[in-house]
Amino acid sequence: MSELKTPQELGTEKIGKLLIRYAVPAMIAMLASSLYNIVDRAFIGHGVGSMALSGLAVTFPLMNLSAALGSMVGVGSGTMISLKLGQKDHKSAQMLLGNSVTMNVLIGVLFGVFSLLFINPILRVFGATDVTIGYAREYMTIILAGNAFTHLYLGINCILRAAGHPNKAMVATIGTVLLNTLLDYLFIMVFHWGIKGAAIATVISQVLAFTWQCFQLSDKSELIHLQRGTYRLRGDLVRNIVTIGLSPCLMNAAACFVVLLINRGLLKYGSDVAIGAYSIVNSFGFLIVMMVMGFNQAMQPIAGYNYGARQFDRVLRVLYLTMFFGTIVTTLGFAITEFLPGMCIRIFTDDPELTAIAMTGMKLTFLVFPLVGSQMVTGNFFQSIGMPGKSIIMSLSRQLLLLIPFLLILPRYYGINGIWYSMPASDFLSVMLGVSLLIPQIKKLKKMA
Amino acid sequence: MDKHYCICIGRKFCSGGRNVAALVAERLGIKMYDRDLLKKAAQNTGFSEKFFDEADEEKTRKGLRSLFMNHLNSNGLSNNYLSNESIFNMQSDAIRHIHEQEDCVFIGRCSDYVLRDSDRLLNVFIAATTDDRVARVCRHADEGMTPSKALSLIEDIDRKRASYYNYFTGRTWGDPAGYDLCLNSTVLGYEKCADIIVELAKERLGI
Repeated sequence: MSELKTPQELGTEKIGKLLIRYAVPAMIAMLASSLYNIVDRAFIGHGVGSMALSGLAVTFPLMNLSAALGSMVGVGSGTMISLKLGQKDHKSAQMLLGNSVTMNVLIGVLFGVFSLLFINPILRVFGATDVTIGYAREYMTIILAGNAFTHLYLGINCILRAAGHPNKAMVATIGTVLLNTLLDYLFIMVFHWGIKGAAIATVISQVLAFTWQCFQLSDKSELIHLQRGTYRLRGDLVRNIVTIGLSPCLMNAAACFVVLLINRGLLKYGSDVAIGAYSIVNSFGFLIVMMVMGFNQAMQPIAGYNYGARQFDRVLRVLYLTMFFGTIVTTLGFAITEFLPGMCIRIFTDDPELTAIAMTGMKLTFLVFPLVGSQMVTGNFFQSIGMPGKSIIMSLSRQLLLLIPFLLILPRYYGINGIWYSMPASDFLSVMLGVSLLIPQIKKLKKMA
Repeated sequence: MDKHYCICIGRKFCSGGRNVAALVAERLGIKMYDRDLLKKAAQNTGFSEKFFDEADEEKTRKGLRSLFMNHLNSNGLSNNYLSNESIFNMQSDAIRHIHEQEDCVFIGRCSDYVLRDSDRLLNVFIAATTDDRVARVCRHADEGMTPSKALSLIEDIDRKRASYYNYFTGRTWGDPAGYDLCLNSTVLGYEKCADIIVELAKERLGI
C-alpha cells in the first residue's frame, strides 16, 4: 500500500488547534535546553562566585563553535536518514547512522584535542583575563575532554527525531537537564568542587544520556539500529551530510563570532564583571527566544503544507496566530526583565557589583523585545513557505549583519552602555526590515487566496 | 510476484530516451509517465504542481538556496514539506502508487531506485554519442543555438540529472552496473532500441 507522507489534517483541522498541538512538544524541548543554561549559571553564580560566572562566559564562543560542528553532522545525517527511511531504504539509513557516529567521534575528538592544546591563547582571544582564565580553563578542560560524547549525544538526538522517535529524543533532553541540575547541586553545593563540578555534571549527564540512546538504538527490531560494519566512512555519505549540514553550521559559527565581539567589547569598555553580567542577560534572552522558536517550529509544517496545497488563507491565518503568540511571549519577557530585573538577577547572584551591571544590561537589551517576536516569526515564515533566502537575511540581520556594526561603533560613544544599546538598535532595524519584506508577501498571498 | 510490471528508462539528455520509451509503451500498449508523474503526485498530495516542477530532476535547486533550505531546522524538530527531500518522497509515493495500479514505462525520476524491490522491473539506460546529441539539440532548439551552446547545455543538464540521481539514490547515474540494459541510440536507432527492450521485457517480466 502506498501511504501519503503528508498528514492531510494540516490542510483541514482548525489552525489554532494544530498550532497548539505542534507547539507543545517543541516548546518543551526548547524550554529544556534554555533551562539547562539557566540552571548551570545559577549554580556557578551562587555556588562558586561572580568571577566564575565571567570565566564561564568567556568559554561561550568555543562552546558555540563546538555546537556548530555538532549541528553540521546532526542536521546533515538527520535529513539524509529521514529521506532514506521515507524510501524504506533501511540499509542506507543504517550506513548513515554508523557514518554519523564515526564523524561525531572524529570531529569531537579532534576539536577537543586541538582546543586543549591551544586552550590558553584561545580563551585569551575570547576575552579571558588573568582573573577569569583560571575558571574558564578549569571548566573547559573537562568539557573538552568529554567533547566527543557531547557531539555523540546531540547527534544521535537529531537522528532519533529524524527516525520518528521525537519522544525518545525529548526524554534524553529533559533527562540530561534534570540529571545536570541534580549533579550541579551535589558537586557544587555539597562537595564544593567549584566550577569544575558544573563541567563534570555536564559531561556525566551527557555520557549517561548517550548510553541510554545507545541502548535505544541497539534494539535489532528497530528500523535503524547501531550495527557493525556501518562505521567505516563513505565519501559520498560524508559529502551529503556536510553539504546539508553546512548552513546550520555556519549560522552557529556566526553566533560564535558575535559572542566573541560582545565579550571583548564588554571587557574593553567595562570589566570582567560585565562579561558575567552578559551571561545572565543572555540566558534570559535565550529563554525568551527559544519559546518563540517553539511556536516557529510548530508553524513550519502548517504553513508549509498549506502553502504547497495553495490554501493561502490558512497560510495567512497561521502566520497571524503565530505572530500573536510570539509577540505575547516577547512582551512578557520584556515586562519581566524591565520591571522585575532584580528578581531575575537574584537567580544567578547576590554580588552587588554584578547585580548593578546586569540590571543596566537587562533593561537596555530587551528594550524593543515586544517587537522582536513578530520579527522572528516573519523570518521563520519565509523558511516555512520555501523561501530560505529571505529567511536567512532576516535571521542574519538581527544577530549578525546589523548587530556587528553597532557593536563596533556605539561603544566608542557610549562606552559599555553602547554594547547594550547595540542589541535593541539592531533588533529595531531588523524589525523594520522584516516588516518591509513581509508586507509585500502578505499582499501577494492575499491576492492568490 | 507483483501484479504489474514496469520498465524504467534512464537517459542522457537529448539521447532520444523519450522517443524510445514512447515506442516501447506503444508496442506494449501501456502508459508512459514522464512529467505527468509530477501531475499525479500533485493530485495525490493536494500540493501544487509547481513545487514538484521546481524540484524536478533538471532543476534541482543548487547553490545557496538548497544550502540554506535546512538552516532553521537545525534542531531537526520541524519540516515544512517543501524541501527537495519531502517533494522527492511525495513523488516516490506517486511512482509506487502508479506501479500498483498499472503496467507502465517510467522515464527518469529515480523510478528504478524507488521500485528497486519490485520483482517485475526492467532498468534501461539510453545514451547516444555527443555529436548526435548536439545535432539533436540544434535541430529542436530555437534559432540562435550554436553547437558550442548546445554542448554546454547538454553537459549542464547531464550534470544536474546525475547529481539529482546520485543524491537521492546513493547510486551512480549512468553506471552500466546499475542497469539491466544499456543502449546507444546513435548506433541502434530508436526502433531497434525499442525492439530490444520489448523483447527483453517479454522474456523477463512474464508478459
